[in-house]
Amino acid sequence: MKDLPQIVYVVDDDDAVRDSLRLLLKSAGLACEVRGAAHDFLGSYDPAQPGCLVLDVRMPGMSGLEMQQELNLRGAIIPVIFITGHGDIPMAVEAMQHGAFDFLQKPFRDQELLDRVQRALVRDTENRVRLRHTDRIRDRLATLSPREREVLDLVTQGKANKMVAGDLGVSQRTVEIHRAHVMQKMEAGSLAELVRMMMAVSPRP
Amino acid sequence: MGGPTSDVLALLDATFDAVVIMDDRGRITAFNRSAEEMFGYRATDAIGRNVSMLMTSADRIAHDDHVRRYLGGGEPRILGKGRDVRVRHRDGSEFSVFLSVGRIPHSNPPQFVGYLHDNSLRRKALATLEHERQLNRLYLDLAQVMLVATNRAGAVQLVNQRALRVLRVDAAQIIDCSWVDACVAPEDRGVARNAFRALLMSGSDEPQSCEYHVRASDGEDRFITWRGVALRDANNIATGVMLSGEDITDQRRAETEAHRALERMNNVSRLATMGEMAAGISHELNQPLAAIANYAQACRRLLRMPGADVPEISGALEQIAGQALRAGEIIRRIRSLVRNEDVRRESQDINELIREVHTLLASDARVHDGRLELDLAPVLPKVTVDGVQIQQVLMNLVHNAFEAQGTEAARHETVRNFENSGAAFEVRIATRSTDAGDVEVSVSDLGPGLAGEVEQKIFEPFFTTKPTGTGLGLAISRSIIKAHEARLGYRANQPRGACFYFVLPAHMEMPR
Repeated sequence: MKDLPQIVYVVDDDDAVRDSLRLLLKSAGLACEVRGAAHDFLGSYDPAQPGCLVLDVRMPGMSGLEMQQELNLRGAIIPVIFITGHGDIPMAVEAMQHGAFDFLQKPFRDQELLDRVQRALVRDTENRVRLRHTDRIRDRLATLSPREREVLDLVTQGKANKMVAGDLGVSQRTVEIHRAHVMQKMEAGSLAELVRMMMAVSPRP
Repeated sequence: MGGPTSDVLALLDATFDAVVIMDDRGRITAFNRSAEEMFGYRATDAIGRNVSMLMTSADRIAHDDHVRRYLGGGEPRILGKGRDVRVRHRDGSEFSVFLSVGRIPHSNPPQFVGYLHDNSLRRKALATLEHERQLNRLYLDLAQVMLVATNRAGAVQLVNQRALRVLRVDAAQIIDCSWVDACVAPEDRGVARNAFRALLMSGSDEPQSCEYHVRASDGEDRFITWRGVALRDANNIATGVMLSGEDITDQRRAETEAHRALERMNNVSRLATMGEMAAGISHELNQPLAAIANYAQACRRLLRMPGADVPEISGALEQIAGQALRAGEIIRRIRSLVRNEDVRRESQDINELIREVHTLLASDARVHDGRLELDLAPVLPKVTVDGVQIQQVLMNLVHNAFEAQGTEAARHETVRNFENSGAAFEVRIATRSTDAGDVEVSVSDLGPGLAGEVEQKIFEPFFTTKPTGTGLGLAISRSIIKAHEARLGYRANQPRGACFYFVLPAHMEMPR
């Protein structure tokens, strides 16, 4: 499927800050949408829409942090750049611990923001590519028979066919046949590629 | 032997001196009440016994000798003359009396009467007098107040130790000197002379008060609060004055010090409030600054583009100017909060202050198509306030009230039109005297009032319900009112709307 154009979302309750960010992003040739409150954004947010989010930490109603947690609960992967005032540094730290992409202290140089926005957009693209990649791997894994899945797990642990045969109590020849089916179904050209695929879908430490 | 008649006895008993009558053989025939007291014998015991029992052994011999000589026709030694003799009490103690003896006329055999005058009584009276004098002196010197008496001319006649210690002089240095010239600080001599004259002139015995400085011999001035009364002779003519003075220099100093400490504390608490607010302030200032930076940087970028969008750039520049003013407004408000100048508090008529603001606020009312009503109590005690600060608070409250009704009106226009025949919103400034005699000032409106959760937060710095508010107005107002030892409070207005009020303590006129 073809990617949608990326959009930079800005959520800030301050009219002037929000409007000035819109103009700044526009002047840098970025598509931008602004919202004055967290619930305005969440109400219309489409997780499939690529882009990034510039989010004010301190807002009346739902704060930036609360909105980030809501996005996390929804499994959203959009990178979040927090913008904070002076007094909000502890909040920014908390935001980073919850997986924020970056944060910026107001006021900031245009280039500081635009650089971060660009990096966030690159990250979003990578995330989405990887997500699609891992989705594909999971799809292929689903086609394996239980025996093929056992063989895959053992060979990606670095075991030779003979040892796998011993572990499973089958002939070496049978292992070789299962292994060929695994490589074919997983569309893997080599054992190394198969290992990388498995690392991509295994939960990160 | 014939004793005196009962008439005579009564007479004798009434005399103050002891009277003893004896016959020619020295036997006592009468012994009056004073004699009983003097010698410790009852008359019934004494009568019939020899007078020698009242005498010391030395006098006994001499006495018998005198009597014999007289009876033998010799010169009377003591008759008609008095002399001091030693006599003996029943208990054996000896004491001196003044004795005069006479022969009772026509008595035969002759009888003699002795009058014994107790010297010790006189001495006792003298001693008592002296004792009282010393006590008085002691009272004077023990007194924790300064005591000074002068004569009619103002010359010091008496001065106690306390006064001498304060003045650091010896009594001899100021006795008979003019009190005012010798002891009063030169700047205060006019006051002291007037007070002195007023005391002499006043017909009343009521003490009069005054305060002036005395100057000690080492040049140090002490501040004394005086109470004075006129001294009068039997004809009620003033002969001088008596002053009692309390040295209140240290007390005054402590009061001033305490007052300063309180001021410092107020400043500290104001700074502490500032500390709490600092984070919020920086956030608040960062908003317009961030917007300004963003707009300016966007403008630069837009200008570099071919076919620059002039209306967009111009709009951004307008925003920059607006945001700079917004930042300035925040700073101005903060400055008014942290100003550490001495608060200039004066006794003020609160109604007068309100009338002054009324003129200023009339234009604000017109902008909001509103009406500002005054409902001022006709008679109010004065309050000690910084007039400008109180006016700031009032302007802030009135401005808020108009704004609240403005937004409310936009939302509930139909309701308003239905309820209100006139188009104007009304804000009312009212003053009244509380039950405790203090002065309450309130600003009320007919707007939406405050919702419960808003009411909780309304005084917090940076809390605002207004799109363009800084959230500092009420916080600053509250801090100003707090600095006046009062509290800015909120209550619902009847029948609807908000009412902000504060109660200022009524000003007590301190007598100077």
